[in-house]
Amino acid sequence: MVDISLIAMATGFVLILIGLYGALTNGNLLRMIVAFTVADAGVNLVLVSVGYMRGRTAPILDSAVPAAEAVARIIDPVPQALVLTAIVIGLGVTALMLAYAYRLYEAKGTLDIAKFSELKW
Amino acid sequence: MVSALYILAAALGAAFLLGLLREERRGLAYGLTLAALGFMTWVSATWVWAFATTALPPVEIFTAGTPPPFAINLRMGMGEAALTLLVNLVGLASALYLKETLLQLGRRAMAVLLIAIMALAGLILTRDLFNLFVFMELMAISTAGLILLSADSRALGAGFKYLIVSQVVSVLLLIGIIFAYHVTGTLNIDGMAQAPALLATGIGAIAAFLILIALIAELKPFPANGWALDIYESAHPAYGAIFSAASGAAVIFAVDKVLPIGGAAWLPVATGVGIATFLFSNLLALPQTNDRRLLGYSSVGQIGLVLAVVGQRDVLGEAYGFIAFGLLVSNAVAKAGLFWLSGTIEQRGLTAWAVLRQRPLALFAFVTFLCVLVGLPPFPGFYAKWELARLLAGEGRMALLAAILLGTLIEAGYLFRWFGYAIKREPEAAAEGPRMQGAGLATGWNRALPIAAALVAAWGLGFLWGDLSGRGNLLLALPLLFALAFLVLDWLPAWVKNTLAIGGLTGFFLLTWQEYDPLRLIFAAIFLIGGSVILLASYETKGRRIGFYPSAMLMYAGLVMLIRATDAFGFFAAWELLTLGSYFLILRGKHSEPHALSYILFSLGGAFAILAGFALAGQGAVHLPLDGLAKVAEPLAPWVFVLLALGFMTKTASVGVHIWLPGAHAEAETDVSPMVSGILLKAGLYGFLVLLMSMGSQRLHGVELTHVLLWIGALSALVGNLMAVFQEDAKRLLAYSSIGQMGYALFGLALMNHLGWLMAIMFIINHYVYKSMLFLSVGGVAKRTGTRDMYRMGGLVKLMPLSFIAVLIGIIAISGVPPLSGFGGRWITYNALLDSEVRLPIVILFLAGPIAFLYLFRLIHTVFLGQLKDEHRRIKEAPFWIVLPQMIYVAVLLVVAVVPGLVLRHVDNYLDRFFPQGGLEWTGTVISSNYGYWNPISIMVIVGVIFATLFAWLLFVNRRAQPVKQFNIVFSGERPFRPETTHFAWNFFAPYRKALGFLTTPLATRFWEGITDLLHNAGDLVRRLYTGNGQTYAYHLLAFVVAVYLIRLGA
Repeated sequence: MVDISLIAMATGFVLILIGLYGALTNGNLLRMIVAFTVADAGVNLVLVSVGYMRGRTAPILDSAVPAAEAVARIIDPVPQALVLTAIVIGLGVTALMLAYAYRLYEAKGTLDIAKFSELKW
Repeated sequence: MVSALYILAAALGAAFLLGLLREERRGLAYGLTLAALGFMTWVSATWVWAFATTALPPVEIFTAGTPPPFAINLRMGMGEAALTLLVNLVGLASALYLKETLLQLGRRAMAVLLIAIMALAGLILTRDLFNLFVFMELMAISTAGLILLSADSRALGAGFKYLIVSQVVSVLLLIGIIFAYHVTGTLNIDGMAQAPALLATGIGAIAAFLILIALIAELKPFPANGWALDIYESAHPAYGAIFSAASGAAVIFAVDKVLPIGGAAWLPVATGVGIATFLFSNLLALPQTNDRRLLGYSSVGQIGLVLAVVGQRDVLGEAYGFIAFGLLVSNAVAKAGLFWLSGTIEQRGLTAWAVLRQRPLALFAFVTFLCVLVGLPPFPGFYAKWELARLLAGEGRMALLAAILLGTLIEAGYLFRWFGYAIKREPEAAAEGPRMQGAGLATGWNRALPIAAALVAAWGLGFLWGDLSGRGNLLLALPLLFALAFLVLDWLPAWVKNTLAIGGLTGFFLLTWQEYDPLRLIFAAIFLIGGSVILLASYETKGRRIGFYPSAMLMYAGLVMLIRATDAFGFFAAWELLTLGSYFLILRGKHSEPHALSYILFSLGGAFAILAGFALAGQGAVHLPLDGLAKVAEPLAPWVFVLLALGFMTKTASVGVHIWLPGAHAEAETDVSPMVSGILLKAGLYGFLVLLMSMGSQRLHGVELTHVLLWIGALSALVGNLMAVFQEDAKRLLAYSSIGQMGYALFGLALMNHLGWLMAIMFIINHYVYKSMLFLSVGGVAKRTGTRDMYRMGGLVKLMPLSFIAVLIGIIAISGVPPLSGFGGRWITYNALLDSEVRLPIVILFLAGPIAFLYLFRLIHTVFLGQLKDEHRRIKEAPFWIVLPQMIYVAVLLVVAVVPGLVLRHVDNYLDRFFPQGGLEWTGTVISSNYGYWNPISIMVIVGVIFATLFAWLLFVNRRAQPVKQFNIVFSGERPFRPETTHFAWNFFAPYRKALGFLTTPLATRFWEGITDLLHNAGDLVRRLYTGNGQTYAYHLLAFVVAVYLIRLGA
């Protein structure tokens, strides 16, 4: 049987590729932003899948998992922490990009990235 | 000491506090922002002080009370302290600079600024890889925020392009981090670097690749850097300063600390990416016309250079920090200063910087920053470049050294071209209406203060690096200090400064003359006493003459330091100083902008050849005494010889690298022409003397190199003289004649025998005297007639008799006919030629002699004899102060003609040390060689008698001559199409031109023009890569990543 973490990781990479492909081939600012969020989701999935250990539980120390047994029973908490941070940052960046897209649209009345190339050479 | 964590905490805390304030309390919010930045700066400063004064080891900060890998840790060491200080200071100064903008935009903008500075400090401090990622994302977000501070609407597009790129970078970085963690079980950078498993596994190696390539991508490597240039061009200049000075420094430090996880294989990658970025950025900067975009290209290039140095750290050893930080702070200080300056200028074209001329201090800041960037003495980059060259050459990495020097030369090219625009061009008309004082300039104390701080920092860091170099601080060298003192005294009237300058030069000579050997004494006398005599002419200029004395004294300081230098470093530093000083002097001429540029480029190119030569000779040794050149062994020695000789040839303007000279000397001011001709050219000959004294003759692939020099000397004499013949401009004629004269001197040195050297020394003295004199007389004439074209003059002998006498004596001396000292020079020359075994160059040299007659005859004939021009009838003799030095020179020439032994005898004896054979015999007034004798006094008497007889006869036969009225010539009723063509002096030597003109085809000019055009066009072509489309930039990034990966696979 294929490991669930492997499936998750593969899915993650596929999402990343889809996202990057989308960002590189779509000229529309909003489509690009969406594509990047897809890629971000893929990255997060990869992050989680790397930290996953088969048959273990969430890294929450309470009555179900006493601290003494934790090392043997929980999965690695670090990737979990990382992915939370990454999600937050991803959200921030996405919000900023959307705000940019809004301002850009206000300025020129278009969402085509190729139209914003006054700065060049 | 306060924990370094407070740097981060203060920024975060203040940013949160800002959120609690009411929107209207902008003044308070601004005060809070400044206070937080000030506090952060203070914390960094205390750490820098502590590390600098005590032997404190780096301090580790464990955030959760446990060491890594269980918690994030930060580190504060000397490097971290210095860089956080830099980042915080730039942040503080930029906040000050942004006062109006921040008060207008309110607390949110201030919070973003605080977060940006905190993120950069965090990048520097953290030792945790994921923490690094977080700070990088914070940097990206705050960067995208701060770009919007700009009033330029195009900045929006630039910010979005940056966000696209940073998204791709963060995807790469995160995947890299998680797999690196998976393999090593730690996120600590040092732990990861020490984990052997990382590079052993395939996944680990790819993870390391992704992490490093993502970090390097943030350094704006070529070609994945279009987004950065757009930011530089459109962002607010205060943010440009942060982006270049602070962000660049923080990210390169992050790369430096993460690089070990990639292992030794990554060092060449870093060097390769860095040097490619450096070269291409500078190439692409060439065709730029927007000041900020140009600064952006230069910033990207400089960071590339530092990356190249980072990749060389395996060979740089202890000097690594000195070099890398030297280059980094040079770029930081200069770029911050330049961006802040650009904010005071309203227009964006390069010529718009001409408005700085209204503010001498701002102009001084501008030129300081340019010199810091190029790495000229006495600034940190200079010391850093010297050490870098020394160590790279010691390891045999000459190709890298050559690339670095080439890039620097291109950079100097566009930076000094820009400076020339600022000094010489008129600013583009901004608005309709009359120009007012201060037009095109926006100033205010909050803008002036950061610029002033950068200026002080530049000089302070120059002092610090000089101190750390262990080579004698240039800023403590007396001659340089004397020159710099004139910067402070520039408010004084010119005559006071002139007196001070003359007093300083002669005083220094009187103090030190006993320290020199006879050869150096001659140079010292020419530089110091000769310089003083020429400076007499400067009394003629009234007013304050801002900028003249610092430049002139800088040149003299360099010249003096050159002959006093005992080791290669001192020699090279002096060489660059005198180059810089003379460049500023030459640039003062009315139309000298392009000529000054070509002068500084040839000179810097030559200086870099000298640097490479010394570095190659030293083979990594810390100190290279000048006489140590003699010990350089076989395979290297001829190459060292070639490089040094090339460098010196740019100064003596030998044929091929001579094209800068005519314009530079001809367009210079009246009293500057003799300085840069009579005095400055001798620096090149001094270099040749030092070279030949220590290295003698060398063979490269069986070719005797002194033989090559012999040819170059002879050809320079021929071509220089021939070009002089066909000039219409009197000063250009003299300038070309210098090329010929220097050719003679070089020829003499290259003969490598006793009399050859004596001849060269004779030419050195003579050329100083008569060329200074002729430039002054012609300058005086040009001043009175308002033209330098000889066909516009004529018949001035009666109106300007003293100038006429000076020119007459000068051309008698120069042409080498009896009885003046030039004849002595010729006599020694012919004796020297008889001693030597070469034949063909001698024929060429003989041929050059009579050609000199042609141009000298033309000079005196068409200017002073013949018909007086109608418009010149009321002309007076040249001003007293210009005539005075000429009369001194006349006296000197007459004395030296009678008693040449006064000087030459000592030199002749001294030369016995190098060439015991073939000296002269000095008995009484008679001088004899193996081939004959020379009695100056009897020659003088004979010539005197002949002259008197002929003159009397002339008077006698002309006693009944009928004076004819002037200006009774008519053009046979025809009005000529170009009146000057009817003047007999126009195209004076047309028949000769027909016969020999092909020899004066400007091949060298065409060659060098071709090179610059090629570079320019290449830059213009390649920069079209940056289409302006954000998506294209993302493609560039991916292509860059793939390319580096493939190159690494192949290697």
